[in-house]
Amino acid sequence: MDHFPTNWGNPRNEDGESYNTYPMASNKVPQGVQQIAGYGHASGHPTTHTQSPVVTGTSVLGLKFKDGVLMAADNLASYGSLARFRDVERLHKVSDFTVIGASGDISDFQYVKHLLDAQMIKEYNADDGHSLATPHVFEYLWRIMYNRRSKMNPLWNTFVLGGVHKGENFLGAIDLKGTPYQSPSIATGFGSHLATPMLRKALDNAGGSENLTREEAEKLLVECMKVCWLRDARSSFKYQIAAITSQGVSISEPHDLRPLTYWEHGRDVRGYGA
Amino acid sequence: MEYNGGAVVAMVGKNCVAIACDKRLGVQAMTISTEFKKIFQATPKTYLGLPGLATDVQTLAEKFRFKINMYKLKEEREIEPRTLAHLVSSTLYERRFGPWFTEPVVAGLDKNNNPFICNTDTIGCINFAKDFVVSGTSTNQLYGMCESLWEPDLEPEDLFETISQALMNAVDRDCLAGWGAEVVVITPDKIITRTLKSRMD
Amino acid sequence: MMSTVPSELPVTAPIEHRFDPYVDNGGTLLSIAGKDFCVVAADTRLSEGYSIHTRYVPKSVKLSDKTVISMGGCYADCLTLTKRIQQNMEASLVAPMWYRHAHGKTMSTAAIAQMLSIMLYQKRFFPFYSWCILGGLDEEGRGAVYTYDPVGSYEREACRCAGSASSLIQPFLDNQINFKNQASERRELSLDQVLRITKDSFTSATERDIYTGDYLEIFVITSNGVELQKMGLKKD
Repeated sequence: MDHFPTNWGNPRNEDGESYNTYPMASNKVPQGVQQIAGYGHASGHPTTHTQSPVVTGTSVLGLKFKDGVLMAADNLASYGSLARFRDVERLHKVSDFTVIGASGDISDFQYVKHLLDAQMIKEYNADDGHSLATPHVFEYLWRIMYNRRSKMNPLWNTFVLGGVHKGENFLGAIDLKGTPYQSPSIATGFGSHLATPMLRKALDNAGGSENLTREEAEKLLVECMKVCWLRDARSSFKYQIAAITSQGVSISEPHDLRPLTYWEHGRDVRGYGA
Repeated sequence: MEYNGGAVVAMVGKNCVAIACDKRLGVQAMTISTEFKKIFQATPKTYLGLPGLATDVQTLAEKFRFKINMYKLKEEREIEPRTLAHLVSSTLYERRFGPWFTEPVVAGLDKNNNPFICNTDTIGCINFAKDFVVSGTSTNQLYGMCESLWEPDLEPEDLFETISQALMNAVDRDCLAGWGAEVVVITPDKIITRTLKSRMD
Repeated sequence: MMSTVPSELPVTAPIEHRFDPYVDNGGTLLSIAGKDFCVVAADTRLSEGYSIHTRYVPKSVKLSDKTVISMGGCYADCLTLTKRIQQNMEASLVAPMWYRHAHGKTMSTAAIAQMLSIMLYQKRFFPFYSWCILGGLDEEGRGAVYTYDPVGSYEREACRCAGSASSLIQPFLDNQINFKNQASERRELSLDQVLRITKDSFTSATERDIYTGDYLEIFVITSNGVELQKMGLKKD
């Protein structure tokens, strides 16, 4: 048995995966390559914008309901296939009525958090009685994402923005190419394959998000998080849920998905390597 | 498909079917001939359309003529359109890893004069359709036309008008097809073959 | 001097992963000019590959009481371009001044058409991936349709379809609007006839194009202003 993980190979297509992190981007000069003095970086390579994400978060889910918006994301930040940081908060309170959730590169997310916080402070300091509401933050975030993609130096994320403004519930997403869109339910990354069908079916059955109670929405979102945890290899059982209503924002403490699953079936099964 | 260009379409009507093709033969953008027909009579009431690479069109037309004749000699009856469809399919699948570059269309009336149409991809996957089938370089345009012009239970003359309008307007938006067209309407008691004049640019 | 010859290990070149700033979000739009009206229609689906991001996002925007713009392609580019048009209608880049504030009037359809061409060509070497159709009324009150390619070539036409199902719908419009391949003489179509053809086009295209569907938004531009109609399309 070869115990060195990097020799195990990767079943995925390196070039096709947007969130690929293996092999790691390296700044080292490949052995034997001549270093050209005074050109580009000290690494010897020319300055490069094109990048790929390093430490990544997986799906973020969002769902509108009668009195607001719910969002959910797990607390894992992966380094390739390594579960590197297990208590990272990927839901962030931007203002009293806005929450941002991030999938993709965590350091890019932290940078965006910094930008948004700075912007909110600036607005606060103006002291003119105005504050940026969710649609405004969404527009601002869109310009940031679109400008970075136009410089061929994207922020490698898909952001989900949830909030309440003037009695209207807001749920939108923006990806690394600056594509903004709003929808009654949103799921990024792997969640778009696993959770979107569940969320859209529930919304269809209820006849729209305005007929969904908070309890129903929360139950549904937890079920989606469970499915994502069971089948998405880059996910974690530890997750948080954010609720944005006219009362304000509440981001829960981390919950555990494990008690919701049942594994006793396999207790007495022998074979299959057990 | 794009080397020589060309389009074929078939439609079902009330107790009748129609099949039509354009008459262009080109080498990429250059038109070589405007008399290159792509539909062939298989039996008295069945036609076979073969759009695609011209060399394969001619080879397959002869190959199918041979196979259909052999079938007739052995069975002492005409091949049914449905049977022909499966013959086409298996002939194409024989070349699974080095295909004939053509997407055949079969259209005809069976022994009870029920309409039958179908087409296959280049390796013989059959698509049985109840309404219309399209094939060749103008598939997108033909789908758009057929989807909006076709309706169920068209009489032979109406079916002729429908398939002609569908084909002509479709190939006029395709640089690789057009330059005249031929339409065949198959009814229980007669076959109507008409040559259409259309845009020559 | 450093050696360029690998000593022990083979040289491992970094994997080049060039970022593609474009994405095709699908969608279909069309515009038909009538004698004294203009119809601009577009579906509202936003897709990426086999995923539908959202079922309702407007592709057409009312620019003035007699002009509507519709765009398809890369949605981020389309939205940015729309914003810039709206901004320039207030503050024109062509003449670096606020158009409305400088001239005391809103831009005419022909003026917006010319400006859009220039704006697209300004980004000739990093184009907006957007298929634009501008519909409205001209100075004489007749229906006008202007169509563009992503780098700014444009012309005025009677009708045009663009976007993912353009190859399906355009031949149908040739046939039904311009009477191509028909013996009958070209005649003026009424608004009702144009609306029927528009709806038929989209229901047909929805059957065969996976990037078209969900809802249809139809803008009807007459001398009375712009009216918006909505219609459901298949969601599969």
